[in-house]
Amino acid sequence: MPTRLAAVPALALATSLAVAGCGADEPPASSAPPDGPAASASDDHGEVAGAVEVDEPPLGLTTIDRAGVVRHLDLLDETATDLADLGRARAVHTDGRFVFAQTPRGVEVVDSGVWTWDHVDHFHYYRAEPRQVGRVVGRGPVTVATTSSSTSGGSGLFFGSGEAVMLDTGALADGEVVERYRLDVAPHDGMLVPVGDAALLTEPGPTGRAARVVVLDAEGRPTGEEHPCRHAASTVTTRVGAVVGCADGALLATVEDDVLQVRRIDLPPRADAPAPTSFAGRDGRPTVAGLADAGRVWLLDTREESWRLLDAPVPLAQVTAVDDDDEHVVGLTTDGRVAVIDGGSGDLLATTGPLAGRSLRDGVGVPTLVVDQQRAYLSAPAERRLHEIDFADDARVARTFRTPTPPLLLAGTGR
Amino acid sequence: MSALRRGVALVVLAVGALTGAGCAADDDGRPLVVVSTNILGDVVEQVVGDEAEVVVLMRPNADPHSFEISAREAGRMQGADLVVSNGLGLEEGLQQHLDAAADEGVPTFVAGEVIEVLDYAEGDAAGTPDPHFWTDPARMVDVVEGLEAALVELDGVDADAVRAQAEAYLGRVRELDAELTRTFEAIPAERRALVTNHHVFGYLAQRYDFEVVGAVIPGGTTLAAPSASDLADLVTAIETTGVGAVFAESSSPDRLVRALAEEADVEVDVLPLFTESLTEPGGGAEDYLTLMRVNAERIAAGLA
Repeated sequence: MPTRLAAVPALALATSLAVAGCGADEPPASSAPPDGPAASASDDHGEVAGAVEVDEPPLGLTTIDRAGVVRHLDLLDETATDLADLGRARAVHTDGRFVFAQTPRGVEVVDSGVWTWDHVDHFHYYRAEPRQVGRVVGRGPVTVATTSSSTSGGSGLFFGSGEAVMLDTGALADGEVVERYRLDVAPHDGMLVPVGDAALLTEPGPTGRAARVVVLDAEGRPTGEEHPCRHAASTVTTRVGAVVGCADGALLATVEDDVLQVRRIDLPPRADAPAPTSFAGRDGRPTVAGLADAGRVWLLDTREESWRLLDAPVPLAQVTAVDDDDEHVVGLTTDGRVAVIDGGSGDLLATTGPLAGRSLRDGVGVPTLVVDQQRAYLSAPAERRLHEIDFADDARVARTFRTPTPPLLLAGTGR
Repeated sequence: MSALRRGVALVVLAVGALTGAGCAADDDGRPLVVVSTNILGDVVEQVVGDEAEVVVLMRPNADPHSFEISAREAGRMQGADLVVSNGLGLEEGLQQHLDAAADEGVPTFVAGEVIEVLDYAEGDAAGTPDPHFWTDPARMVDVVEGLEAALVELDGVDADAVRAQAEAYLGRVRELDAELTRTFEAIPAERRALVTNHHVFGYLAQRYDFEVVGAVIPGGTTLAAPSASDLADLVTAIETTGVGAVFAESSSPDRLVRALAEEADVEVDVLPLFTESLTEPGGGAEDYLTLMRVNAERIAAGLA
């Protein structure tokens, strides 16, 4: 990345220069994503390698093993690199670039060094040096909510202890952990969801479970706006906006002309299936999937603002939506196979052999599905494998990568 | 920043603070024109010549949507006599600085405001303005004429000199337009299709009667172990258009050519085009006219 300065005196200098409006060689004035290799040539620190634009998605699979070693598999050249050693990690989240790993002391942020910038009409792809960015201190299980941008805006962390922390994502890109604000609220299983400069923060009801979301401004102050959301349980970002799942539907938050809009997408009336407690889909698409239970799949189309319930053709432990022209839905069956489902009809199109059966049976790690336009990836911790599946070609296993240790947690990166 | 240069910066800052002045060292008496993209930068330099100091913010081989500028450059923008930008949403990363300069009362010229705007035809951006007007030289003629009018108004420029330079450059852009028309005439009408993953050729297609066929170009992970279904979208586009070349950014074009031959029995060339940025000198697209000519030659050779 071009001329990034991490040291405080240098930043102070930069601020003075910005005011003076002249000077020799200061850091960028904006926190926009980096430009190409030419600009990074002006960075003669030697401390920070520049980001370069690349021709195609620099896709990777970033895994964490039992010892906390973060390992990045480059899916283009098939090389594996150790990025960090975090000690024990219990859960992971990614925005496609940064890996947020929950550890006993809080959250460790690792920059995978690969990302995609979504311009709506097209995409740009970047590579930079991966690095361990730093730690966010907090207690209890954490929910991480990110946006579609890994170079600007905020990343929201909510710890079970009631610590809600908004990180400056642009600062993460510059290699620093900067907390825009940190709030201490009533402990609950909650979340802090960035939407543009604003955010949605859950608040517990009398039972101690999340009952509503309140809207926060850019400084983390309540604006007074709130929306009921019983048992708020999960969040995901789609092409359209930020989704918060509630017991009776979902909230969809978007920014239109700098104004935050929160709309409610109710579950269909008389739906006798519970709302999903997690959502997954392909980056940059409007539709996400979640399980009502092992036998039923919810599809939430955030553009049409509608829900659809599918009967799963096989019992599922996990599900995600490709949201392509063929409406592929990809699931992990309870016996560890990858199932390709027609999201229109609910028909089973193909399944792989058992790939993560032992992991599911023995409860080893979290077998995880990640999908892009052409391929699905599945981690199989106990089996020490990462699989690449061509869902459009009869669930063909296109490539299989062995891992030296069980890949307990998986983050799909370069996305 | 080296220690030496940081020292210089501090000294300059100190001087600035003491005198309360800006950066006098940059001021050679000529008006200052700050230009966002390097394509427009080239055009402005051609038109204004030595009559103004031209600062181009976007470096060669960069991405116009996301390039960032230094605090110094932002400061210079505020003090410019004219800020030239593409507009139509192209300079996303720069927009806050463009807005700030306009708010400060700095005169601005936005290319997108002097052309007939085309909307994207397909995809998620369908219906929104396509900012890539420069792929049509006739649109660039409109922009040069608009620039000429803005530049002659600047205090300190020799208006007659600017008008003469603008006329000369307009002649070259019109010549480019005529040349492209002739070049593309060699392509049979039924093969005038750009099968591509580039998103910038809408204006060129409209001007020279091409059909743009957007296609998914299989990339690295797919080509590692491809199947016929991976190539289906591209193969359909190639077969329905009957073209002998596709125009794509691909890090492994040879692998794609081989996969198409082996999996789908399709023989095509995979050719890159220059899209949104000039290159360094010697990079093949060091100025606007060259960028357009090289693309036209590649398209004509690929489709002939």
